[in-house]
Parts: sequence; structure tokens; C-alpha cells
Amino acid sequence: MAEAQRNYFELFGLEPNFFVDQKELSSKLKRLLQSAHPDRHAQGGSQQQMLAMQKTTRLNDAFAVLKHPVKRAQYLLQVVKGIDTTKDHTVNDPEFLMQQLELREELDTLAQQKDAAGLMTFADKIEAMAEEQEASLGQRFEQEDWDLEALKVSIYKLQFLHKTLNDIELAEDKILD
Amino acid sequence: MALLQISEPGQSTEPHQHKLAAGIDLGTTNSLIATVRSGKAETLADANGKHTVPSVVHYMSDDNFEVGHKAKEQQAIEPGNVISSIKRLMGRGLADMDKIKEFSANQLIESESGMPGVVLDNQVEKNPVEVSSDILRTLAERAEQTLGGELGGVVITVPAYFDEAQRQATKDAAQLAGLKVLRLLNEPTAAAVAYGLDTGSEGIHAIYDLGGGTFDISILRLQKGVFEVLATGGDSALGGDDFDRAIAHYLVEQANVDSDDRRAHQLAMIKARDIKEALTDTDTVEVNFLDWNGQMSRTQIEEIIAPIVDKTLLSCRRTLKDAGIKVDEVDKVVMVGGSTRVPLVREKVEKHFKVPPLTDIDPDKVVAIGAAIQANVLIGNKSDDDMLLLDVIPLSLGVETMGGLAEKIIPRNTPIPIAKAQEFTTFKDGQTAMAIHVVQGERELVDDCRSLARFELRGIPPMVAGAARIKVTYQVDADGLLQVLAEETTSGVKADITVKPSYGLSDDQITNMLQSSFSHAEGDMEARMLREQKVEAARVIEAVSAALNENGKELLSEEEYAAIQSSLEQLNQTSQGDSIEAIENAIEIVEKNSNEFASRRMDASIAKALVGHEVDEI
Repeated sequence: MAEAQRNYFELFGLEPNFFVDQKELSSKLKRLLQSAHPDRHAQGGSQQQMLAMQKTTRLNDAFAVLKHPVKRAQYLLQVVKGIDTTKDHTVNDPEFLMQQLELREELDTLAQQKDAAGLMTFADKIEAMAEEQEASLGQRFEQEDWDLEALKVSIYKLQFLHKTLNDIELAEDKILD
Repeated sequence: MALLQISEPGQSTEPHQHKLAAGIDLGTTNSLIATVRSGKAETLADANGKHTVPSVVHYMSDDNFEVGHKAKEQQAIEPGNVISSIKRLMGRGLADMDKIKEFSANQLIESESGMPGVVLDNQVEKNPVEVSSDILRTLAERAEQTLGGELGGVVITVPAYFDEAQRQATKDAAQLAGLKVLRLLNEPTAAAVAYGLDTGSEGIHAIYDLGGGTFDISILRLQKGVFEVLATGGDSALGGDDFDRAIAHYLVEQANVDSDDRRAHQLAMIKARDIKEALTDTDTVEVNFLDWNGQMSRTQIEEIIAPIVDKTLLSCRRTLKDAGIKVDEVDKVVMVGGSTRVPLVREKVEKHFKVPPLTDIDPDKVVAIGAAIQANVLIGNKSDDDMLLLDVIPLSLGVETMGGLAEKIIPRNTPIPIAKAQEFTTFKDGQTAMAIHVVQGERELVDDCRSLARFELRGIPPMVAGAARIKVTYQVDADGLLQVLAEETTSGVKADITVKPSYGLSDDQITNMLQSSFSHAEGDMEARMLREQKVEAARVIEAVSAALNENGKELLSEEEYAAIQSSLEQLNQTSQGDSIEAIENAIEIVEKNSNEFASRRMDASIAKALVGHEVDEI
């Protein structure tokens, strides 16, 4: 039973940490899948094939979480502090709320005008903001005593920027169709 | 070091261990079967030296049929009794039929399973799964005759952009043909395998696969035997047939043919294909079609087909974006499918990707060759090979929520196998049942997505609205097939289905069709099943005993060890008897008792993969 309870960091032989070397993570995934993937167990019985599918599913899932900065940050808080930040979304930061509104408006206008070039420039801007936010989140996780409130706010801000990037893609898809 | 063994040509070093496996490319226009012999993957030819089998079936009124070239010849003589391009109907419902132009409305009927059935002039009625199964059976017979033995398993390729229902229909067809499917493999991934292993190609590859009726574009990273699909896209109803149709349309216009004249339209399609093929090598051809005599030039047909090619490039752009790859990062472009012979396609693809496309391996054969390589690995002929295929789902999987909206549970291009869960709740006080509608596609509205299945979770204890917690879990396996589980978590009420009903066959229907196709007496069937169960029992006993010896003491408590041991003894005794059911039950008990052990063993070996390498690296 103990094995099944190993957290995503442990699955990849990592300490729970916000900083994850993405290249190493990706090459570790491939090594793990070399022994876990259902294709490696095609000659085993149905039980073995079922287990291989479950193990690979968990590895793929773990990889997706550790790869994505927002999911990784949320997972880290969950594992280390037992705090679930995936559901609660109240941020009391008027300046950020204002900025949020403005960015949404800018996106809506570009989408309505079907301005593909404008959307690309806008995406670049949001991407730069996300990078900056991710770095600042990383710094907060570096501190010895985690400021949980500040972490929550920081994660939420990054999440908003990623959601915006996602919506830009949807808007671009609509223009393409 | 072991001494080198030299074997007879055409034989493996250990003939008794070499199992027969084949790769099958089940195409819209043509199909192929390939296998690995003496370490080399090659397609198999018929007695006349022909490798491709036209995916055409001629049904006679006495229920006999012929597949391939002979059937194709009949197309000109009695088109009403010949079925071609059946792949276009796989996994489709009657509602989709307006998009599929090969079959006229009066030819199609709704069959019991919700699938369209094709009615021939001689009143023979066939559904798409049956027709595909007849093609598969013909291919398998060719392989078994050439190789001189029964096939242990096959890998069948499907367009990467095939949805769940289309994949399931393909697997059903194989089952109906009595074939063991080792894996459903995406066609572009198969092509990448053929290139990667044959030419040692590495880096970012774009596989451009334009077949008769489907178009796929996959972006893969090839590195040290790992074939990682980064993204895939395409159109499962776009292909070279559309070129023919566009040219045929032009011919029909020139000849002033009545729009209801089906015969003339079919002739126009055949003529169009000839013209297209002729114009790959020459610049102009003379055309005689019915009353019209004229000349057609390559430039002329290129104008006609350019919009179709441009549509494929739009898919390429989107898929590159999904893969997070810029056009100039693409190292190689591989051409797959007969329709990539059209010069305009090559020109436009080269211009788009800014690299000359590769055609070293015959675009018609490359998919079957890749499938054969994968089949050879999966059947266990090459167990220590490092080759690993990591594929993705092509289309998002979702569920219908309030207001007819589709909520995505697993987004497209997620690596498989994968499982995702989402929680829902009741919206009425005292609600005891919940309808779950599984859909696939990218659009926001359920009506614009493909409906895969509907089922109900019943027996939810009555609670106030919003209090129930219904967890819906989607599990996609390595074949890209979906299983859905719904559970009310506070009470533990469960419902699960393997997605197939919308336009597919139920397991019972397949079993019935299989049984009716067996000419054996029932007694023969039972004797065979008993034999198979005994073999399976022996396999389980051997595998579990070996595992116990290896690390049972290490990974199990004494009680756990004893429980497995005693269920093994029980199975050993039962398997001496003649009850199929008792043996089946005894196997099930062993598997249940040893499941946790098997899981721990697998975890240990997976963990070792990581540790072993880290030591290597120091």
C-alpha cells in the first residue's frame, strides 16, 4: 500500500520543491514509462496490463502537475501544508482586480474585431507578465517560512494569467475556423 | 559472450519462440498487411505479386464475397453489389450520412445497432463493421498462408484523428474477424516508427498523412527509440477521394450529365482518379467521358484541388501551435498516403514547412511497415527493445452540463493512458438519478460535438439539491478507448460503462455474430474453451509462483503470502477438473489475492528504472 501513496514528487525521485528542472523531469518520465507503459506488459495477463495502465496513468498525471507552474504550486501547498487552493478564489487586492478587468476588456475587444495580429501581441504581453509572476512565486516558495496568504494570492494571479492565455488561444481558434 | 548464431535465411534463431504477428493498414481505398521476417519489416504480396488490396468487397447473393482486385473489377460490371470506401462509415450514425457522399441515401438503412447498414442490389445487407471485418479476414488469411501459421496478434492502424466510436468500430471488426488486437496504432505514429527505425531519424518530425478518405497531421519528437507524439490534428472526412470528387464534378459539368444519374457519377469518379494519376507524371491528358472529349492539364486540376490542399495546411498550422513547435523547429516532414503523390501536395507542404518532404519509404506501405514493427515488439519477439510509443488523444473528451454545454474533462493532445475525474452535483431536492452524456469534440455546444454515449447513475440517496457529490471519471487506455465511471461519493453508488453504444455493437451482438459464423458444433467450442482455460490456469500458476519466489518474502506479509499460496494450490487442483467455470473462478481468486502483490512488484521495478539510471549518470 505504501507505494501507492507516494506523492508526485516522490514518484519522480524529487524533494517537494517549487523549482523543477523541466528537462530532467521529461527525461525521467521517459525512463519510468520504459518500465511502466502497457506496451511493456503486452505479453502479461489482463491483470498485469490493467496495473500497467494504472501506473502509467498516474505517471502521466504526475508529470502534467509537475510541469505546470500553477498546478505544481497548488500541489506543493497541498502536500506540504495540507492546504487546498484549487477551490477558494477570493483575493482582496483592488489594484489587481482592476488590472484583471482591463485585461479582460482588451481581450474581448481584440476577439470581437477578429484582430489576429493584435491577439498575438497581447499574448506576448501576458506571457511576459506570467513569467514575472512565476518568478515572484518561486521567490516566495524559497523563503524559509512560507507566507501562506501571499502564496495564495500569488498562485491566484498566475492562474488568472494562464487562464487569459488559454482564452487568447480560444479566440485565435475562432478566427481560424 | 554468447557465440553468434547463424540461422537459415527466412528463419529466426529460435523458431519455436518466434510468434507470428502482423501490422494491418486498413485504409479507405487500399489496405495492406506487413510482418517482420528475418529482422526486416515488409508488406506481403498476393499470388500475383500485388501488395495493396483495394478496400472493396463484392457480395454475392449466396453470401459469398470477394475482396480486393477481383471485387474492384466487379465495380464496373455490377456497382450495386460492390461496397467501397466503407471506412468512411465506421463509427458513424445515420445522422452523419449527409457528409458522406460515397453512398446514396436509398442505399443506407438504419440497422438494429444504430449503425447505418448498406443494402445492395441483390438485397444483401451489411453493416460497416462486417464489411471491414471481411477485409481484415482476407488480409489475415494472406499472412497466414505466406507465413505458414496462425497469427498470434495484430496491430491495426487507424487515422490519428479517428474519434472514440470509429476506433471502437475498428476493434469490433477485428474481433469479428477472429483476430487478437495487440494495439490500435495511429497511422502517423506508425509511419514515424518505420522512419525512425529504418533510417535512425531523430528530432522533431511532422507526419503529413493524406489517405483516400482521411487526413492526419502529427508532430512527434523522436529520441533514442522513444516516439513522443506532441500533438495531432486533421480531418477524418477529407482525403484524396475529395480530389477525385472535385475533378468528377468538373467532368459531369462538361458532359452535361443529369444530377440523378448515379451510374454516370460513379464512372466520373473512376475517370477522375485516372486523370489525377496520369497527371502526376505528365502535363496534359486527353479525356473521353461519355459525350465529352477534351483535354485536361495539370495546372487545371491543380486549380480545382488547391482549396482542399489549403485546408490541410490550416490543420498543420493549428497542430504545430498545439505542439508548441514553431515551423522552423521542424527537422523533417514525412509524407504518408497515396494522395501525397499529387505534385501540388508536395509543393505546398514543402513551402509550408520549409523543408523538402521525405518519401524514402513508399508512402503507401510505410504505415503497414510501422505497424508490423510495433506488432513484433508487442508479441514479445523483441522484448529488450527500447522502442516506446507515447501517443495522445486527438479530440477532447467531455460531458454535457446544464444548458447543452460541453465541459471538457480531458483536453485534446493529452498523453494516454490517462484518467481524469470531475465532480458534479444534483440540482433538484430529492433527485435520485442523473443522466450522463459523454461527448467528444472541441466545440462549446453539445450539439456541435460528437455524442459517444448516454447512461444513467441511479439510486442516489435523496438529498437537498447540491448535497450529492457525483464523481465522473474518464479513463482512456493505450488504444485510445474510453471507459467512464460515475460514483456518488457519499453513498458509494456506482455505474460504469465502456463507451460504445451510440453507433456500435454491444459485446453480446459481437459474440452472437462470432458464434453464428463458427461452423463448429457446440461441443467443439466447449472443448476448445476448456483447453484454453487450462492453458491460462497453467500460465497464471507459473507466473505467480515465479513472482513469489523472486520477491514474495520481501514485499508481502506472512498472511498475504500464505493467502496467495493457498489460492494457487486451489487453482492447481481445480484446473485438473473439467469445469470451465470453476477454473475461471479459481483464476479470478488468485488474481484478486495477488493484485496488490503485482502492483507492488511493478512499483518496485518502475522505481528501479529511475535509480538504476541515476547511478549510471554519476
